[in-house]
Amino acid sequence: MSRKTSDIKFFFNPKFIAVIGASPAPGKISNAILENLKRTGFSGVIYPVNPKYKSINDLRCYSSISEIPCDIDISVIAVPSTVVLETLKDAGKKVKGAIIVSGGFKEMGDNGKRLEEEIKETAEKNEIRIMGPNCLGIYDTVSKLDTFFIQADRIKRPSNGGISIISQSGSFAATIMDELASKGIGVARIINYGNRIDVNESDCLEFLADDEATKVVALYIESVDDGRRFIDVASECTKKKPVVAVKVGRRNAGVNAARSHTGAMTGRYEIYRAAFKKAGIREVDGYEEFKDACRILNIHSRGKGKRVLIITDGGGIGVNIADACENYGLRVDELREVTKNCLTSKLPPFCSIGNPIDLTGSVTDEHYITALEEGLKNGFDIAIVTVLWGPPQLTERLVDKLKEAMQRHNTPIIVCSPGGEFTKRINSLFEGKGIPVFSTPESAVRAAAILCSKRI
Amino acid sequence: MKKQETKKLIKDVLSSNRRTLLESEAKKLISAWGISTPKSILIKKKKDIKAEAKKLTPPYVLKVVSQDILHKSEAGGVVTDIKNIKELNNVWTKMVKNISHKMPTARIDSFLLEEMSPIGIEVIIGGLRDPQFGPVVMFGTGGILVELMKDVSYRLAPLDKKEALEMIREVKGYPLLTGFRGSKPADIDSLSETIVKLSEILIEIEDIKEIEINPLFVYEKGVKAVDVKAVLNSE
Repeated sequence: MSRKTSDIKFFFNPKFIAVIGASPAPGKISNAILENLKRTGFSGVIYPVNPKYKSINDLRCYSSISEIPCDIDISVIAVPSTVVLETLKDAGKKVKGAIIVSGGFKEMGDNGKRLEEEIKETAEKNEIRIMGPNCLGIYDTVSKLDTFFIQADRIKRPSNGGISIISQSGSFAATIMDELASKGIGVARIINYGNRIDVNESDCLEFLADDEATKVVALYIESVDDGRRFIDVASECTKKKPVVAVKVGRRNAGVNAARSHTGAMTGRYEIYRAAFKKAGIREVDGYEEFKDACRILNIHSRGKGKRVLIITDGGGIGVNIADACENYGLRVDELREVTKNCLTSKLPPFCSIGNPIDLTGSVTDEHYITALEEGLKNGFDIAIVTVLWGPPQLTERLVDKLKEAMQRHNTPIIVCSPGGEFTKRINSLFEGKGIPVFSTPESAVRAAAILCSKRI
Repeated sequence: MKKQETKKLIKDVLSSNRRTLLESEAKKLISAWGISTPKSILIKKKKDIKAEAKKLTPPYVLKVVSQDILHKSEAGGVVTDIKNIKELNNVWTKMVKNISHKMPTARIDSFLLEEMSPIGIEVIIGGLRDPQFGPVVMFGTGGILVELMKDVSYRLAPLDKKEALEMIREVKGYPLLTGFRGSKPADIDSLSETIVKLSEILIEIEDIKEIEINPLFVYEKGVKAVDVKAVLNSE
């Protein structure tokens, strides 16, 4: 079956939305959806549907979809699973797409599975594209659409930015969303398609590949629907923008018959990894790295190579970073003689001139900038600036100075700043200025490695 | 055998209701793609040994050919380093006795007499057809510890030489091929071409479910497929 991008594009640019099962009662899922749509400033028309009410939150409420005077782009369905089918039958051909938020399907066993089959049949007959069931749907800062039923005071919503996330899991999507929002990192679209009876990861990737608002795609994958199509669309997407993915559910090994060593040794996860490689997707290892990948790719889209310049005021941490670089396959090349001589003349005699450049505890803000400016003349691909805040002459002004340096150079600069309360406060200043800051040597280096991996 | 003829080979195997290729068939199959295998002769009757063995250069390897025996060594169906024809006759008699003892119901089709290949660097090249992603190729350092060490890399087929080279460089045992502790570098070029050929076989012959060359000996110049297994799809 071949589908076109245009098939799901309308989900991300709707004019008319119906909320089925809308309720005025605070705390109800359907109420949260209505509230969130209003809060994000969705500019289209919202039609609450519920035969029990005449109006909800100042909006006229309709007793059924058929009563609504126009065609509907998206129908957000939040009614009990047993009523969903009826709703779709009512909709006839009036609705282009439905986001079925309701649970109680495949995940509940055979009866639920049968219900899904019936829904699929009706949707195909009425030409309705389905997202879900058992999903959060779409959070979209471009079209200002928010069908996530989780209250915004519990799970923060990110501002507008370049990352789009495709997630099979709702809890993962929501948690990452909250984390990114709290770090001030913006997103374009977040899509959670749950039980995936129709719209799947390949449809989403195909759409995001051509989506101008999306600069980076991050995928959370438990499984994919159609392996070869996934590789085709992902390969197209990675030609245009970086795609990172985390694969969970790695333990279910060995579905392949084991008549050869190859069969016995090859689990699903190995094959997924091969598929990611084929498509040019950068695999990240788990939640933490996924989050860090989003954070770094939000600011720097690519690194040219693997050569890292390390600047620090703490010798030990500098060596720690250099070790981590080696583990991640990055290069910590020595400085050129001419640079060393120049730095020796410009920096105080107690500094240790090499890579890492160790500015020691007598460091000042200016020393950092001098080391960075001269060091980058050696053609490094990435700089990791490792600031420890113990030295008394360092001031918060370093944040602005590094920001200015970032704007002068094309080379990605990553700040690594481990520490407690004081350090954390300054780290949030870095974040506020859009400087990627990491609080452990390993996470900083991992982020650098993500930037310089192939096809990104 | 030519590439086109391999399709008939596979068809014949399927129509005789077998799902596993005999070693001799699997070797013919990969030879059609230009993968080098040891010089060999199939012998059905003991009385033919002398006349047939003369066509090969000793030392010999004798292997049982049976659709019922997938793991020949375990069944006592492989003997290596046979110096001459007299020894070969003895080995034959003993092998028949051993197999009838260990696997009494196994049907013996024939015996494969091969020239023994000099030891090279042992690697494994495998392929399988995944229901979701299609053909997958595996490369790894070989030997009896292959399943324990799991020093392998994967790519989806089809793949090109560049990807094959990446696969080779990815495994931890890669230095074994580049001249480890004074040994001469192995023929990585031929090795990468062999990986590409296995990928082509998987793409070309859709009936193959699993195929594996293990070990493949890699020499300073060239490679040799010492053992090959191939399993076909069930329906």
